[in-house]
Amino acid sequence: MKPFQTATILCLSALATAARAAEPVQFARDVLPVLSANCYACHGPDEHERQAKLRLDVEGAAKRAGPNGTPIIPGQPDQSLIITRLTSTDPDVVMPPPSSRRKVDPGQIDAIRRWVAEGAKWQRHWSFDPVRKPAGSLDDQVQVELAKKGLALQEIASPHTLVRRLSIDLIGLPPTPEMADEFARVEFARVESDGAPALANYERLVDALLQKPQFGEHWARLWLDLARYADTKGYEKDLGRTMGPYRDWVVNALNADMPLDQFTQEQLAGDLLSNPTEQQLIATAFHRNTMSNDEGGTDDEEFRVAAVKDRVDTTIQVWMGLTMGCAKCHTHKYDPISHDDYYRFFAIFNQTEDADRYDDAPRLDVLTPEQRSQQLVLQTHVKELEASLRTADEAAARNVTAEDARWKAPRIVEAKSREGATLATTPENSVTVSGKSDAEDAYTVILSPGEGRPTALRLDALPAKLSDGQLGVGRNPTDPNFVVSELTVEWLDGDVVRPLKLANARADFAQEGWPAAAAIDGDLKTGWAVSPQARERHVIVFDFAEPLQFKDDAKLRVTIMQLYGNRLTLAHFRISTSEADPKTLLPTLGSPESRKLRDEVAAAQKALRDFNANVVLLPVMRALPPEKQRVTKIHKRGNFLDPGDPVQPALLSAFGPFPDGESPTRLTVAKWLVNRENSLTPRVWANRIWGRLFGVGIVETEEDFGALGAPPSNPALLDWLAAEYRDGGWSLKKLLKTIVLSEAYRQASETPAALQQADPRNLLASRGARYRLAAEVVRDQALAVSGLLSLKMGGPPVMPPQPAGLWRSTYNGKSWIDADGEDRYRRGLYTYLKRTTPYPSLTMFDAGSGEVCQIRRIRTNTPLQALVTLNDPAYLEAAAAFAKRILTEEKSTEARATRGLRLALIRPLREGEITPLVKLQHEVQKVFEASPDKAAALIKTSRGDPGNLNQAEFAAWIVTANAILNLDEFLTRN
Amino acid sequence: MPLPLSPQLERARLLTRRHLLQTGGLGLGAMAVQAMLAQEGRAAPKAQENPLAPKPTMIAPRAKRVIYLHMAGSPSQLELFDNKPELQKLHLQDAPQSFLEGKRFAFIKGVPKILAGQFQFAQQGQSGQYISELLPHFAKIVDRACVIRTVHTDQFNHAPAQLFIHTGTPRIGNPSLGAWVTYGLGSVNENLPGFVVLLSGGKTPDSGKSLWGSGFLPSVYQGVQCRTSGDPVLYLGDPAGLDRSVRRRMLDTLAEMNQSEFQKSGDAETITRIAQYELAFRMQISVPEVMDISKEPQHILDLYGAKPGFVSQAESADDPRVLYKGDDPTFANNCLLARRMIENGVRFVQLYDWGWDHHGSSPGESIDETLPIKCQQIDRAIAGLMTDLAQRGLLDETLIVWGGEFGRTPMLQNNVRSEFKKGFVGRDHHPFAFTMWLAGGGIQGGLAYGKTDEFGYYPVEKPVSIRDLQATILHVLGLDPERFHYTYQGLDQRLIGPTDEGRVLNEILT
Repeated sequence: MKPFQTATILCLSALATAARAAEPVQFARDVLPVLSANCYACHGPDEHERQAKLRLDVEGAAKRAGPNGTPIIPGQPDQSLIITRLTSTDPDVVMPPPSSRRKVDPGQIDAIRRWVAEGAKWQRHWSFDPVRKPAGSLDDQVQVELAKKGLALQEIASPHTLVRRLSIDLIGLPPTPEMADEFARVEFARVESDGAPALANYERLVDALLQKPQFGEHWARLWLDLARYADTKGYEKDLGRTMGPYRDWVVNALNADMPLDQFTQEQLAGDLLSNPTEQQLIATAFHRNTMSNDEGGTDDEEFRVAAVKDRVDTTIQVWMGLTMGCAKCHTHKYDPISHDDYYRFFAIFNQTEDADRYDDAPRLDVLTPEQRSQQLVLQTHVKELEASLRTADEAAARNVTAEDARWKAPRIVEAKSREGATLATTPENSVTVSGKSDAEDAYTVILSPGEGRPTALRLDALPAKLSDGQLGVGRNPTDPNFVVSELTVEWLDGDVVRPLKLANARADFAQEGWPAAAAIDGDLKTGWAVSPQARERHVIVFDFAEPLQFKDDAKLRVTIMQLYGNRLTLAHFRISTSEADPKTLLPTLGSPESRKLRDEVAAAQKALRDFNANVVLLPVMRALPPEKQRVTKIHKRGNFLDPGDPVQPALLSAFGPFPDGESPTRLTVAKWLVNRENSLTPRVWANRIWGRLFGVGIVETEEDFGALGAPPSNPALLDWLAAEYRDGGWSLKKLLKTIVLSEAYRQASETPAALQQADPRNLLASRGARYRLAAEVVRDQALAVSGLLSLKMGGPPVMPPQPAGLWRSTYNGKSWIDADGEDRYRRGLYTYLKRTTPYPSLTMFDAGSGEVCQIRRIRTNTPLQALVTLNDPAYLEAAAAFAKRILTEEKSTEARATRGLRLALIRPLREGEITPLVKLQHEVQKVFEASPDKAAALIKTSRGDPGNLNQAEFAAWIVTANAILNLDEFLTRN
Repeated sequence: MPLPLSPQLERARLLTRRHLLQTGGLGLGAMAVQAMLAQEGRAAPKAQENPLAPKPTMIAPRAKRVIYLHMAGSPSQLELFDNKPELQKLHLQDAPQSFLEGKRFAFIKGVPKILAGQFQFAQQGQSGQYISELLPHFAKIVDRACVIRTVHTDQFNHAPAQLFIHTGTPRIGNPSLGAWVTYGLGSVNENLPGFVVLLSGGKTPDSGKSLWGSGFLPSVYQGVQCRTSGDPVLYLGDPAGLDRSVRRRMLDTLAEMNQSEFQKSGDAETITRIAQYELAFRMQISVPEVMDISKEPQHILDLYGAKPGFVSQAESADDPRVLYKGDDPTFANNCLLARRMIENGVRFVQLYDWGWDHHGSSPGESIDETLPIKCQQIDRAIAGLMTDLAQRGLLDETLIVWGGEFGRTPMLQNNVRSEFKKGFVGRDHHPFAFTMWLAGGGIQGGLAYGKTDEFGYYPVEKPVSIRDLQATILHVLGLDPERFHYTYQGLDQRLIGPTDEGRVLNEILT
């Protein structure tokens, strides 16, 4: 006994049983699924696993005689090997072998026998066959299938139910009771006058909802689940990542009803379109939603490859409903995708620049039009100032040359470093410093000034190329400043050493707090320094305090103490003397004009940098240039460290070649996916849309349209919708409109016992759909009826309240700060999604984490959900605001209860329906009157605004409102 | 067929208030639903069958539940379990080329030096296994555990390696071991989650919530993180000012109105929802009760080194590692909670203790200074847990698993030029051989399984893969690792993956 019987197998047996009835057996529906599930692992596409050289997945091979007999002989079941082996009682002969733990049930064997007897007509797996639109309407397709079970469509739901259903389905928000009343009034008037077009009123409502901007927000959620959208990068550090512009692009595209073919091309290959717009580049962020791993010590290539595989898998999952995963390691055992196919397809995606880098490069700066013009103004300003500075500098340079001519750099006799750095002299008599670099140093230079009467001494700090390749006057590349703590000069007059006094120190520039005078003040803790202008030449000039007269053999010993630490020592310098009148010797290098301009350029550059730092940078796809294209090799058993033969990029061979001679690119893939001949894309999409509206897809396994997926509950309906969508210009709004206008959609959702029996899960649309709302809708609806909801669209994600201390990611300093004001009450779509710690009250209602492509959300019904809507601050605040609204809008308890219930449920109330609420409110108010402090506490925690209200009454209404917001009917779409 | 309850649990059920709440203390709403269903002659609709109800095992089980103690970051086996005198001889010499050729390391570059084990080992227990001086309490219970010194993995970064052990794949998206087990066996106490996660060490393990996610399984099977400060389960506490009686009154109104709704719609989900609100109400009592260790007698608290109500500063620090103290009882409290949980029928209790990544590169992550502190935090607690379970007769039915996500290299590593320097003694990630131990239900105590080479670099006898370990854990619990699956994307997905690598370690079973 196999305790974990699968839904798929159950479905298959049910079908096989159905096939026993008079209807002829259909290979694709009745036989192929059985062969796939039980035989293809050993007798299918994977040649490595194939046993006895027998394959049953190809018609020719299955009908060809082999050493043990012919597997399938049309018309002769008892001579066909497949039947004799399936029915054998000998454990060594029977198939599947007992060791496989697979078993084909008698109903299924019977179906195969009948199929052989009826001529063994081969068909392809149903979803690979072309889409053919059946005659008739959508409702005809539903009714045909219902009639087979003796069922018929239910009555149309009440007008109020329809308005709420439509509003929730199309924009994800509830209508107001007033809207519904008005719709109902027109409906009833129409019925009475018995003349107006039947659906005009309803159609107007549909059109109005489809035009609302909230439509795009609601349907974007479906797409973002598929796109594995999130606001962080995933894995260990799970750092933030800006993806908001992409989310907004999806919302806008859906609101504009961008056709699926365009939607596909822009997201998969926007960068490969000719002259792509900024919006088309933003769209390519679709495939940058892959995770990246910033964990220390990880191999970037490993995670780049993982991201590319994710793109391959997601693309095929999302558009074609097929699982590529298996083919990473070996040829797919059930669907026609070989190991080589996988890597040929992978090769197409393996040619983008991104490589699991820390900064998520390449990124696109996304600017609003205002930002764009602001940036241009700043850029122009910088350019203009730079030009003026060049002109001023050229003029100043002429002055400098004139000034330099008044100085002479004496020959250097000796240059030494106290700490052992290498000091070398240049032909221009300057000294370059290299080699050992200690925190502090003192340079001693002996000069031969020659005969003369020097009046002044000058030290030039000259820029040198540092170890990081940049220019700097100090040796430390991270801080290329220097500090001349003290500069002393001695006259070596034969054996006599005469210290020379210096005076009147002046420099072209001095750092704040580090003036020129400090270089000769006798204090080693002070000094002259030049930050932040540490990358350009500086000079300091000293007067000799006394008149001097040197003979030819005079020597000067200059000592430059640099004791600040942190390697702030000169990298290149020159010492010169002058005989001019010291008063005329200026330290200026540039003109005051160029000094001023230099400051202005720096300020303008900083303004531009600051501006750019705040510009949103969105990770996008960018193709590698031809010369940098990667060679793709097969990864043996899926291991990227174990490369096999190189492969050329190609589309999946089993799904038809694409009529394009060139090597395929992502753009080719996009076109191929939405090509008319592709039988999967329209079916997968139509099924997906139907699934969202009816709660379950026509193919229940929305993620698997392959051989092992569930067969469609109504194949004709699926093809009808698929053709309608594809042939209607791939318009989502048009498809939605078609579906919601159908009778099948508009049916009442009540479930009489007979229907519960015949179609327990409503797979045949035997009634209107009834299911619990999606996570975001649960939240948005509570905020909407309470009046708190903000309809602000787009922008960065927001942080509504969540319990403290949830974010404890390793090495991630970022924290959750509860938003105040409008951002506290935005739609769930905008809630910050951190992959390793998604917003708990949304995940409890089955929202995903954005880590991998989520094809559908499996709805659960758990006590943790009850705790969310009872106690989560978001719902408490909604209850308090809702209570206040009810109290303000109506006077009596009864009128208030009625108002509250109608705002939540929309429909007219039944007799006595408010009684339990009125009783609750009265009783709880008494409790709070007895303990006013508790009333005050509840009002405070739920951020209620009591104003002039009676506190006990208000608190009791908060409890009552909380009850309303937890009603099953409120949480359910019906 | 539900699992037979342990005698302890049955007694607890008979005596405690929980039992009353569960059966006698039904809310008005739930009772009315039962009455109504009876009246209509309608069985509770199928769709609302509790997905967490106990399920029969596939094969005879040896244990009924699991406590998994994961030391996130990966402790050094060479300082704790795998005594290698040869390393002493080669201390600070260049590592042989054979260690390095074709290997990928997380951080090691160039030719690293051999690092001798930094602590003393001595033979312990009847089995005479070498155990480090850092684990004096474990030394006393070593004969209850099967120590496997030859576990190997193919992942050498934290997040993927943790995912591989707990979900069977190094990438995100598959269900965790706890989710698989809860899916396979259900849970015997419906007032508590079936799969509970407790964290300590100040950080969430590297791959976050995915480690206890339900992947493609329904989300009811995901681990519920119970917290020792704030609400023990998110949103469990009623808001300030709202009494239990008011909550009860409000839920009665809710149930009454939901019943009317059910009568009109006939939708089974409505009945489930009524039941889930009642369960939530009971959880509001039962979870805080089981999480309250203050009523434990002092000798039990001392056995673990637990301190009720203690909130460690390290738990909310930006860098908790520099605040670690040996007497921090957070992990000990979690061990005591684990016992209380399994005593009350929780199926799978997963503890993660962060802070075991001892590279020696920065303060708070060294083998010479931090490892002894971390060992103090866990040693008494784990021995206490085993002793306590044994004295309550629960150890035989509970599987205990201890380990990290990989091991640490026999070579020195840090980012101070790999100098051997106090406070900076570290080792890099080592996937080729490391130590884990199992104890309790179905496990042969005192067994030393597998042997590594003289450097502790590779297994030389009885290597154990992660898949073997996973297969063994499932097997012990009565789930056939090969057949136990869930159909998703058209495939029979298994914890042990699609290949036949995983092997049950029958030699270590009783």
